[in-house]
Amino acid sequence: MASKIDSSEYADLNRVIGWFIVLRWVAWAGVAVTLSAVRLRMLFELPFPVLYALTGLLCLLNLSFTLYFRTLKKGNLSRRETAAFFHAQIVADYTLLFFLVYFTGFLDNPFSYFFVFHVMLTAFIFSSDVVFVYVGALVAVFVGVFLAEYGGLIPHYSLGAGVSAGNLRQSLPRLLSLVSTLALSAYLITSIKRRIAEKGERVEVELDRYKNLDKIKSNFILQVTHELRGPLAAMSGYHEMILRGIGGAPSPKTLEIIQKADHRTDNLLTIIDEMIDYAYMKSGEELRQAKSELALRELIDENLELLEPHAARKQIALVSNCPRELSVRATRDLLKIILGNLVNNAIKYSPARTTVTVNAQREGGEIHLLVRDEGFGIEPEELDKIFEEFYRTRRARELERDGTGLGLPIVKRAVESLTGRLTVYSELDKGTTFHIFLPATEATDEQDPDHR
Amino acid sequence: MSKILIIDDDLDIQETMGSLLEAEGFQISAAETVEKGLELIESESPALVLLDVMFPEKKTRGFEAAAEIKAKYPKLPLFVLTAINREYAFDFSKEDVKADEFLNKPVKIERLVKLIRNYL
Repeated sequence: MASKIDSSEYADLNRVIGWFIVLRWVAWAGVAVTLSAVRLRMLFELPFPVLYALTGLLCLLNLSFTLYFRTLKKGNLSRRETAAFFHAQIVADYTLLFFLVYFTGFLDNPFSYFFVFHVMLTAFIFSSDVVFVYVGALVAVFVGVFLAEYGGLIPHYSLGAGVSAGNLRQSLPRLLSLVSTLALSAYLITSIKRRIAEKGERVEVELDRYKNLDKIKSNFILQVTHELRGPLAAMSGYHEMILRGIGGAPSPKTLEIIQKADHRTDNLLTIIDEMIDYAYMKSGEELRQAKSELALRELIDENLELLEPHAARKQIALVSNCPRELSVRATRDLLKIILGNLVNNAIKYSPARTTVTVNAQREGGEIHLLVRDEGFGIEPEELDKIFEEFYRTRRARELERDGTGLGLPIVKRAVESLTGRLTVYSELDKGTTFHIFLPATEATDEQDPDHR
Repeated sequence: MSKILIIDDDLDIQETMGSLLEAEGFQISAAETVEKGLELIESESPALVLLDVMFPEKKTRGFEAAAEIKAKYPKLPLFVLTAINREYAFDFSKEDVKADEFLNKPVKIERLVKLIRNYL
């Protein structure tokens, strides 16, 4: 029987027990007050000594329940104890209520309907088979006592004049009404409970489905990146082999052709990164990646090193300036996205023999990251559009055929994900500067000086 | 002449990276599977290992292999290379990878050679 408790939230059951005890005190007070009132006003002739004894018993019982639950078990029962305790309470409550009703007119007493509450609470706690046993037993007792009274085997304590056990035409409908009400209450509560449980199961199934989709999505990103970037890595290698004359010295025309092919291959790699980053950002996934303390200088150097060959081709100097101890709390991917996109743009949209600068420094509570070029600049009227998805400036389109128009929107998203801000200044034919402000971690201040 | 072992299931990557490094004066041996690679480390004792991450049998086989290699040959320089250039695609962060360098393919040959020389 112990396992028949029907509640997924086991911890809640201890609260329910407390609630039952409180309810029982209220019931006890109600019984005591009603009995006293009836007696004082001499409304009915009732076996008061017996009734007072029952009321006293109810008080004692609840007192022992309280002592057991609150004092002995500190309001916390194990699963087994909980089930046993509920059974004890139900048997006690049913019995006491039954005798109270029996001695106060039995079916004549409208309070006999208080059994509905008991049945509902039973159905609330236990699974339907246990409820069936309790309600079945209750109905059997009611019918048995009704028959016994009717047959004169036990006395009938009449509530008012004119109603007696012998009056079958009045008592039988009362019995049937009470019994069917009890059965219906039990049925309704157990079915409502079943429906709630089914809904809960459906939610679980849905949740599993979403978890699964989520996994597929992550796997998809991994697979797509690998499938698209893998072949390009090989292509890029073969271009390099030709350029280096492995397998024969290339003619100047071949060199030119291969350089063009390699340039478009590099563009394609950037486009793939942007599309995948865009999909990733749109999925809101970036918020789930754990941030860590990252050495900013190392990240900047790594990023510039990757782009160095592109810069070298145009004889663009890459200059960086970042204190060695500067660190930022972020995810490596997001910083890679920010720096990669901005520096790549700076190189792409600058004339040969210019300088691209990356600076980082701490300014108050913020880390100020700056990417400056001496490039072609952005038209003032286009400046507020560059962060729109898929927008490319007229000049950008002229200078470089390939491009998604997603680079800067992705940068903006990345900065926002790191709760930073982003501003841009540009002057035509003079250059463009992006300023990024990221919150500096307080941990840097609190760290002991030796640690730096 | 230093020998470099390339462990990558992509034969084109073996060929391109291999020939480019050979042209730079390195001796190359290559393996298509981690198991074969482990055998070659034992039999040929290369000076440095270039290891791929995604293998047909498992997407993160390279990360496991890196840990195995580093556990067995702690002094052997190991570069892990992958075409996947975002950590979010893996449930892995750079710090978790047991390697001396963690690089993204395609890696420019100048950069690769420079890094290799740092370890030889």
